[in-house]
Amino acid sequence: MMRLLLSNRIWLPLGLAILLAYPLVQRSQYYQHVMIMTMMAAVLSSSWNIIGGYAGYTSLGHAAFFGLGGYLVALAHNHFDWHPFISTWFLAVIVMTVALILGWISLRTHGSAFVVVTIAMVFIFRLVALNLSSITNGARGLTQPRPGWGDVQWSPDFIKVPFHYMMLVLLCLTIFASWRIRQSKFGLGLIAIREDEGKAEAVGINTMLYKVLAFGFSAYFMGVAGGIYSYFFTYIDPQFIFDVFTGVTMVLIAILGGRGTLWGPVLGAFIMEPLGNWVIGTFGGTQIHLAVFGGILLVVMLFMPQGILPTISNVVKQREKARVANAVSQ
Amino acid sequence: MLEVNQISKAFGGIRAVDGCSLGVERGSITGLIGPNGSGKTTLFNMITGFYQPDGGSILFNDQPIHHLLPSQICHRGIGRTFQITRLFWKMTVLENMIVPVRHTGWRTLFSQGVKKHEEERAMELLELVGLTNFRDEEAGKLSFGQQKLVEFAAILMSDPELILLDEPAGGINPVMIEKIMEMVDALNHQGKTFLVVEHNMRLVMELCQHIIVLDHGQKIAEGKPAAIQNDPLVLEAYLGSTEHVGA
Repeated sequence: MMRLLLSNRIWLPLGLAILLAYPLVQRSQYYQHVMIMTMMAAVLSSSWNIIGGYAGYTSLGHAAFFGLGGYLVALAHNHFDWHPFISTWFLAVIVMTVALILGWISLRTHGSAFVVVTIAMVFIFRLVALNLSSITNGARGLTQPRPGWGDVQWSPDFIKVPFHYMMLVLLCLTIFASWRIRQSKFGLGLIAIREDEGKAEAVGINTMLYKVLAFGFSAYFMGVAGGIYSYFFTYIDPQFIFDVFTGVTMVLIAILGGRGTLWGPVLGAFIMEPLGNWVIGTFGGTQIHLAVFGGILLVVMLFMPQGILPTISNVVKQREKARVANAVSQ
Repeated sequence: MLEVNQISKAFGGIRAVDGCSLGVERGSITGLIGPNGSGKTTLFNMITGFYQPDGGSILFNDQPIHHLLPSQICHRGIGRTFQITRLFWKMTVLENMIVPVRHTGWRTLFSQGVKKHEEERAMELLELVGLTNFRDEEAGKLSFGQQKLVEFAAILMSDPELILLDEPAGGINPVMIEKIMEMVDALNHQGKTFLVVEHNMRLVMELCQHIIVLDHGQKIAEGKPAAIQNDPLVLEAYLGSTEHVGA
């Protein structure tokens, strides 16, 4: 019974069915919005998890790739009239390429030095976006046409629906990629790097290649999400999209749910994002949701240092073991 | 098989290895001994690519390897253990065995992490060291001696020609030492070559066919165990611990 509670055979179809039906059943614009942002948080956190969770390299700078995706899509939309829903998948390849190069440089550092380098990365991207005003329009940011398809603009009560399904597709792809990586030789190598990088290199793993690839993959989904996001809001500016806090949030969500696990980041996002919105909705648009976030994280770290999901699955395993032992002794 | 020519490495002002040359014959068990700080581990780290030598060259099967990454050297067929056992602590014993499996190409990189035939091979080797029951146990939960055995067995997964053992008998009980000696001997008969750093003189003298002695980063003697035991230079280098030699 307990084992069933953790089984993907139940949660996967159930979750997918709920998310597929959600915008059809839930007609409130507000709740549709919250769900889109929740799925986006899950995408960001899951793709961060590929380098940050599996390989153990805590990047606080992934907002750089999120923002770059957003800018590329907005520019392509405005200048070439490429529809963001299509272009974002291709333009994210550019984001990935940039990440491969930056990863090749930054992944020479380890531990806290790496964290600092990645934070610097976000600031560099922001400075470039602010100062390259001939392309990025500087601090005034970029505006895109209102969302629609062809000549048809989507009506206000429908407008969130396409974004919901776009984000759902991206979420499924991200989770699939994360699962596929975790199951593969590549994923096994990443975990080995997290455990002992020198030893991994000694037993024949080209650690630099593995890390750079993981960095690139994780940036790809970041870039796609950034593209969808910039179209969703139809407006982006450097302060807003190259935000260190975005990078910190996705890390905290992953830690909360269970860093380095497949479903931990998703679980964390589906707890924190709705809760944060509820707090803002109830107590007003101050920064109080950050305090709540911090409080929850503190409690979770105190009582479940590995995060929610690993703690639950450990408890289930322990009980199962005890049950088997009981059955044997009787 | 392995040729080290005039190799040097300095850390600041300390010349850890100083113009050292030595060779390892194919099919041999070669012992590398010397007092603490004589440069044995530094030499190991240069052979396996962890340190770049300041000068000199290292040839493996007549190919220079001193400019390669540790992972590339591993792929060439040199495996090593560490003085202080290193495993992937949070991974299971089986996973620890699978990580070193040699694979090349992009398609295998994204193929199934643990394959059936790899698992079978891993179980065979775990059988050899008597740890099959621990396959799903976290490596960090094993006893110190068991961890050493897992590290040793995992090295064999990549099927190296030359195996470097850094103090295989350090800190484990005599029964376990005996077991490791038997395994090394058996593998040697199957054609594996060994280079062993060890302070346990009984093990070195019994196991090795050829012994190289280092002191202050230089080779001071080389030869058969019996000759080394009576070499005055060696005795001098070991002053204070001479009673162990030949014990």
